[in-house]
Amino acid sequence: MSKDSPQRAVLVVLLTAVVCSSLVSAAVVVLRPIQLENQMLERSRNIMQLTGLLPPDRVIGDDEILDLYKSIDLRIINIDAASYDSGIDPGTFNQRRAQNDPELSVAIPTARDQARLGRRSRYALVYLVWNEDRLDRVILPVHGSGMWSMLYGYIALEPDLNTIAGMTFYEQNETPGLGDQITHDYWLEKWTGRQVYDDQGNPRFRISEGTVEPGSANAEFEVDALTGATVTANAVTALVHYWFGPHGYQPFLLALREQPPDRPAELKP
Amino acid sequence: MSSMQTFTTPLVKENPVTLHVLGICSALAITNSLTSSLIMSVALTTVLVISNAAISAVRHFLPSSVRLLVQITIIASAVTVIDQFLAAFMPEAARTLSVYISLIVTNCIVLGRAEACAMKNGMGTSILDALGNGLGYSLILIIVATIRELLGNGTLMGYRLFELAHEGGWFQENALFLLAPSAFFIIGFLVWAIRSWKPEQKEKPDFKPIPLPYREER
Repeated sequence: MSKDSPQRAVLVVLLTAVVCSSLVSAAVVVLRPIQLENQMLERSRNIMQLTGLLPPDRVIGDDEILDLYKSIDLRIINIDAASYDSGIDPGTFNQRRAQNDPELSVAIPTARDQARLGRRSRYALVYLVWNEDRLDRVILPVHGSGMWSMLYGYIALEPDLNTIAGMTFYEQNETPGLGDQITHDYWLEKWTGRQVYDDQGNPRFRISEGTVEPGSANAEFEVDALTGATVTANAVTALVHYWFGPHGYQPFLLALREQPPDRPAELKP
Repeated sequence: MSSMQTFTTPLVKENPVTLHVLGICSALAITNSLTSSLIMSVALTTVLVISNAAISAVRHFLPSSVRLLVQITIIASAVTVIDQFLAAFMPEAARTLSVYISLIVTNCIVLGRAEACAMKNGMGTSILDALGNGLGYSLILIIVATIRELLGNGTLMGYRLFELAHEGGWFQENALFLLAPSAFFIIGFLVWAIRSWKPEQKEKPDFKPIPLPYREER
């Protein structure tokens, strides 16, 4: 078989394909469990930052994070029915997958779709943080279209279900240096203590157009603007309005206020 | 060329970025942080060494008709394996670099060295050449990233060196340095500096301007 014969070309290509695909598959199979553990850890770390359970003065290790995470009450809620759904395992529920599943998701009416999502999952995984037998925080997943990318975050509420205890964006791809300021701690810290709803129960929280004047009428509902990131900031306002509006978590939060949940007996203290 | 020269020539004299102007895509995209640039440098150098070594090892068996196909398959496999390793052991870095690690497949330096060196030389030379080119690329990335992160954010590898004005310090950060165009400027200045130092790198003009027809003043 000469070096440039067609048979030889086919043989070489086949051999290369077999050898290379075996190597790649082996790497993926061997490393997959470690990667899944990393994702789990990353998500736990994001949640833990909002629980108020982390010691503020030191960085804590991975094992401790996973241990603390076990003390959080994970619940699947049916957003439309404003109720808990015990039929789905919180450990395996994937909201992003659910969002694309016609069975598990619902189209958002255009007039209500401030966050430009199109569809949303009927279910959401929410996190309840308990302090002894008292509900301490409720952490809700939120997302919405930013300027370039989908913004994914968690928002934590105080037990009054109106005061923001903390906010984090764990995934976004906005302009570096401008829109990505939404992930900066110095800005996210300004969310703490702000109110979501006005007296009539409508979402009033927003990102301001400038600096918020302390003591002004809107001061408790607004967070300072981000220089050069108006589109991203407006998207953040829109996603808060959607998720706390009547098509989002509002019915669930009202139900939660009417009937506070009980601390599960089996939960780790 | 001695083996030492094979290694040192691509560092400055025939630097893949500033002389051949290859690998610009990633040099623009990820150099806004020194940490990502270092990881990218290590990733690219590793891919380059693996692909040059593998291609040099099989070069005598490759029919020239399917040469590129086999080269790209080898490069893509090396990149995918590195990508998986990063996602497993450096998840933070993998998230920051996201798609740019996979894009090493299309980095012209890798295919360029496979064609220009690995197809014609033994494994030892090919590996040295890969190391030299990888480090030449890394050198430019590190210089660009140092300038960009320091002026754009006041930090280096995430450590705060300059206190920001809006946090009570003195440094007014310049967001332009975090955007891709600044990398163009910085690489441009680097090319200028290197060509002033080594004038032999200057390209000859592609054509001579035609003299304008002489017109008599009226």
